[in-house]
Amino acid sequence: MLFSEAVGRKVVSTSSAATVGHVGSFVIDPVAQRVAALSLKKTPVPGDLLPWSGITAFGVDAVTVGSEDHIIEEQGQLAELNNKAHAILKKRILTTSGLQVGTVTDVDFDPADGRILGILTEDQPIDGRALLGVGSYAVVVRG
Amino acid sequence: MSTLVRASDLTQRVVVTFAGEDVAQIKDIVYAANGGEIGAFTLAGRGLFAGPLKVALPWPRVVGIGLDAVIIESEDVLVPVGEALDTATGSASSGRGDILKSQVLTDTGSALGRVTDVIIGIGAPGAQADVVGYEIEPAEALGRGKQPLLIPLPDTMAASGEHLIVPAMAANYLTNELAAFGSAIDTFRSQLGGVS
Repeated sequence: MLFSEAVGRKVVSTSSAATVGHVGSFVIDPVAQRVAALSLKKTPVPGDLLPWSGITAFGVDAVTVGSEDHIIEEQGQLAELNNKAHAILKKRILTTSGLQVGTVTDVDFDPADGRILGILTEDQPIDGRALLGVGSYAVVVRG
Repeated sequence: MSTLVRASDLTQRVVVTFAGEDVAQIKDIVYAANGGEIGAFTLAGRGLFAGPLKVALPWPRVVGIGLDAVIIESEDVLVPVGEALDTATGSASSGRGDILKSQVLTDTGSALGRVTDVIIGIGAPGAQADVVGYEIEPAEALGRGKQPLLIPLPDTMAASGEHLIVPAMAANYLTNELAAFGSAIDTFRSQLGGVS
């Protein structure tokens, strides 16, 4: 599933059947090459982060969670990863050989476990397993 | 065959870690082994008003060097400048043993010109970055005009910061195109190997 497809999808609590937010953006852990959390919009609770572990299912029409208690405020490592400097979209991509291979246009992830499957660029997509880091300057991939 | 770059093209190239942070940019090159290869890079901070950094980047720690960036694993691989200078001597544009502007002499005693830039051959990651030649401002006696010329170098040679000694044969391989320079180096070096 692509980030662009998933953004805006509603997040529904299975215990109350109420909508508890919409997917705003993705928080990526580049070392684990996974989506670490979702940053939600329009949440009824103070926090807006939904760690991947709190997700019951990433469905086609909605993301389900057990209850809104899984939505937390920014803290620790997640707060750092959610920093604007670690946003992946539109960032330049550098290979470990020092060449720029485009900018990130979209990211393909596995809705079952949050693994990053691929990084889409204007040109050839890059295998998600090549991802090394996402920093303020660039996204670094092995190659 | 390794890629050939001018040393001046390397300066200001951004240094990026695996984590994607731009921690520095190349300020200057520290040569090792008598000017025969790159020993380390001195660094400057990023940004308009950033000055030189107190850390340097040893060549063996460079993961990749490309047109757009120099990639390193993390900031932890940087060492204090003093340490990098101790293991190498002769910096391209400052301090002792300045290679730029020094006079190129053949071992038979004729001056070929003055060094304006250094040509570096960068091979596979982990390999040496060999200094393969110089760009020189030709001496008038050569009668080759004022266009900068490229001169291939043997693997090893003597450099004092004042003079650089090259084999007289090197004069036969002067060229003015970087593209044609690669093959000139190869033939020059294989010839040298045959003689000695």
